[in-house]
Amino acid sequence: MNFLAPWFLLGAAAIAGPIIFHLIRRVVKERMPFSSLMFLNPTPPRVTRRRKLDNLLLLVLRCLCLLLLALGFARPFFASDDVLPAPAGEARQLVLLVDTSASMQREGLWNQARALAENDLAKSKPGDQVALLTFDGQPRTLISFAEWAGWSVDQRAALARERLAAASPRGRGTHLGLALTSAAELFQEDPGKPASRREVVLITDLQEGAKLEGLQGHEWPAGVNVTVALVAAKPAANAGLEILSDAGAPSGDAKEIRVRITNARDSSREIFQLNWETKNAAARAREPMEIYLPPGQTRSFSAPKLPAGASAATLQLTGDEVSFDNRSFYVAPESEHVTIAWFGSESANDPANLRYYLQRVFSETPRRKVEIISPTAQSAFSPELLNQAAFAVIPNRLAAEEITATRNWLARGRTALLVLTDAQMGPTLAALTGLPEIQITEAAGSFALLGEIDFTHPLFAPFADPRFSDFAHIHFWKHRRLEIPATANARVLAKFDDGSPALAQIPIGKGNLLVLTAGWNPADSQFAVSSKFPPLMQTLLDWSGAAAPARSQFLTGEAIPSPASGARTALSARFASPELADKAVRAPAVEWQKPDGQRVSVASAAPFTETDQPGIYIATCDGQDHRFAVNLSLDESRTAPMSLDELARLGVPLQTITEVPGARTQERQRHLQQAELENRQKLWRWLIIGVLAVTFGEIMLGGWLARRPKTTAASA
Amino acid sequence: MPASSPAISSPLRRGEGFVDPKALMAIRSLELRAQVVVEGFWNGLHRSPYHGFSVEFTEYRQYTPGDDTRYLDWRLYARSDRYYLKKFEDETNLRCHLLVDQSRSMTYGSLTYSKSDYARTLAATLAWFLNSQGDAVGLFTFAERVQNYLPARHRHGHLRQLMLALEGEPEGRETNLGEPLRRVAELARNRGLIVLISDLLAPVDELERNLGRLTAAGHEVVIFQILDPNELTFDFSAATLFQDIESEKDLYLDPQAVRSEYQRRLQAHTQGVQITSRKLGFAFHQVVTDQSLDIALFDFLKGRRRRGKRVNRRAQSVSRP
Repeated sequence: MNFLAPWFLLGAAAIAGPIIFHLIRRVVKERMPFSSLMFLNPTPPRVTRRRKLDNLLLLVLRCLCLLLLALGFARPFFASDDVLPAPAGEARQLVLLVDTSASMQREGLWNQARALAENDLAKSKPGDQVALLTFDGQPRTLISFAEWAGWSVDQRAALARERLAAASPRGRGTHLGLALTSAAELFQEDPGKPASRREVVLITDLQEGAKLEGLQGHEWPAGVNVTVALVAAKPAANAGLEILSDAGAPSGDAKEIRVRITNARDSSREIFQLNWETKNAAARAREPMEIYLPPGQTRSFSAPKLPAGASAATLQLTGDEVSFDNRSFYVAPESEHVTIAWFGSESANDPANLRYYLQRVFSETPRRKVEIISPTAQSAFSPELLNQAAFAVIPNRLAAEEITATRNWLARGRTALLVLTDAQMGPTLAALTGLPEIQITEAAGSFALLGEIDFTHPLFAPFADPRFSDFAHIHFWKHRRLEIPATANARVLAKFDDGSPALAQIPIGKGNLLVLTAGWNPADSQFAVSSKFPPLMQTLLDWSGAAAPARSQFLTGEAIPSPASGARTALSARFASPELADKAVRAPAVEWQKPDGQRVSVASAAPFTETDQPGIYIATCDGQDHRFAVNLSLDESRTAPMSLDELARLGVPLQTITEVPGARTQERQRHLQQAELENRQKLWRWLIIGVLAVTFGEIMLGGWLARRPKTTAASA
Repeated sequence: MPASSPAISSPLRRGEGFVDPKALMAIRSLELRAQVVVEGFWNGLHRSPYHGFSVEFTEYRQYTPGDDTRYLDWRLYARSDRYYLKKFEDETNLRCHLLVDQSRSMTYGSLTYSKSDYARTLAATLAWFLNSQGDAVGLFTFAERVQNYLPARHRHGHLRQLMLALEGEPEGRETNLGEPLRRVAELARNRGLIVLISDLLAPVDELERNLGRLTAAGHEVVIFQILDPNELTFDFSAATLFQDIESEKDLYLDPQAVRSEYQRRLQAHTQGVQITSRKLGFAFHQVVTDQSLDIALFDFLKGRRRRGKRVNRRAQSVSRP
């Protein structure tokens, strides 16, 4: 007989209890009351016979009860040949997930991680399927299951080491959640023959700044275990900084730049220095700004004054012991000058006019100055003025000369907004679009509301959230019914509740003409005074391509939109005409220069995605240089290790921290088999029944013995 | 000689009599037990040492406000126009107080009844007997102090009250005659008969000091020492822990080793009590609980008769010239 939990047999030692109690009871029972001991002197005890146990049968029953109980808890079972089927071969699927985030650049960490990964690769058996992934902000597959299976067994380890050697930590953040879910998806993508074990070995420094989004509620495939192999850096003080992306002002402006600094939880230092890194000797000679920040805290500070005349600079943090996150790059945002052509001569100060509201909705900001010019204000139309404009608003009928110039201007990729202020504008629209069948009539009825809006269009996409999508409160007192022929290739972006278009997009050459069938002046509608008007007009200006990219600060891993002026035109065009989009993509490429000097050519419309190292990226297009600062995420500076409990809390099926030795695995397997065997036999149930039976017998016997002395006394 | 000799070893005295004590103790009612013993024994005569006349007029006393008007002599008032009260002698010849020990040592008993059961039956028997003779009977029960007191009276219902008082179970702890006898001396001022029923398991010198108070008050004292047969023979076999009922102290004893010494010391104690009794003029009777109660009653009456004869002789010698 074997026992699953033999240490419970120690409980059998409790039978000493009843034996002692039986002896003690005998002593108590023999106390003899007597009226007075005044005539007696104590005599030393004289042993006449050995102390005997009373009620031997009762004692035996009590001991038996305890013995059976101890046996039951020890979970006995009979070893037999009827053991469980041997587990399937040792074949397993193993995903090695190696952290290559910026924090792995710390001293010695990457070598440790490589050693751990190579150790796992070396120990893989011929039947194993192995995939090797590295991850930072995004996971990257170095070796897939299929690739591993395609290699010969002898070469696998060497080839895998070669791939691993080519990888190295880059300057990106850590998205641990995405990496783990991607690793789990590899098992689902490879349904081939089922392996006995599915393991993910996560080799990481497990810094607390790692993103864990996506883990909560993730459905892990059955049988997957995650083993975390930690690489630990020697304790060192670490702080990181980040220039707040929206801070600062166009170059030359003396407004302050805010910088956010974090000090790691396990850091041992509290005082750091902040200064601009510059070649300017005068600026370098300036005293660095000293800041105080306790460990585990993040605070914002005003950065030292930017060196005079510098539009791009590097802010340096000193005072800690880890350097990978001590530089933050800054590029002053470019100031834009946008010109809008207004085809009219109305006063900008009359609230009854459209111009009054347009002038005010594009108020001047530090980053953008909008100028509204009027090519028709003078006695003669000026095409030069129109060519200066990036966007045009047409609220009136145009003369033939104006129509021709505008149509050409539009065909070059510009965007104009035609506001149908009356039904007589039909010929103008027909001439501009080249669609003579377009008809405009004045709509009847008291008022109309917007009934249907295409929130998939970039113009309305910012309003797609239910909190902002209510346009129904804007009353349009007057509007014009527009009938667009099907051949016009037009797209209706918004409709009134009577079904007529409210806003339509009609492509003209490379450009677009937006037709608004009601004015925003108070005589026509409440549109100008609604909360939707300013954001919609700003979005319209951005979408039309009139404005250059506003952001100059990016994080590593983020895509930088192309600074090419036609980029957004092409993007917007793809909704109207795929052919135009193709033409845009084939336009001259933008040349990007990375911080290490490497040059990359990217199609003019395509965003730049290779932002894998912090620094200043320079994009050259149309003979102009555009600078962008790319920085490391501040989360990467929180290098204190995270608790594994956090992963467990998010449902990650953690196995053990360290590798499980083979002997222990076999032992555990054997123990599992024994547990299954014991579970089948369930001998403990019979033992518990025996305990109950013996207890019942003991109660009956004890009761009888307790009554017996009274009977004897009565008979005596 | 006022006391009968102790009959520790006399087989003729032990267990003989008209009533088997075990059968008697099986009777639940104390009153009935006393009645059984006394019935058929109504030939005992005794003389009162005192000249008493029941319902005897003694003197007149002038009425003062507050006196009970029931005793006004209306005839005298009719004759003399004065208020006088008639005063009478006590109604009884003999005032007897029974002192019953209720200490915890009296609860010991190797038979089916304890020493206390026996003592209470003896007290009830004496009370019944005296009451039926027209004597006034009072009762003290005591342990370390007086627990119950009934004044000596002879009136209807008094005997019943006395039986009820005797039926109470022992509540005391240790035998301490000092305080109870002091109270008895205070409460029983008129001279009379005191019957002390106890195991007297207390040092002799202490007993002598306490009993002397009763003599000083002029009482006639009869002592019944109640002992269990096991207390006389110490008939135990196995060596074991013995526990003192009163003090609850434990003592490991081998009975075989200590028996002779125990008997010797008990006998010395009994002799000491006897000598003391003789010195103080008390009658001493040792009663073992397996002994018939009528024998104890007989001993009591015999002692009383002897004392009566001695008083008569003394009176005659005094009256001769």
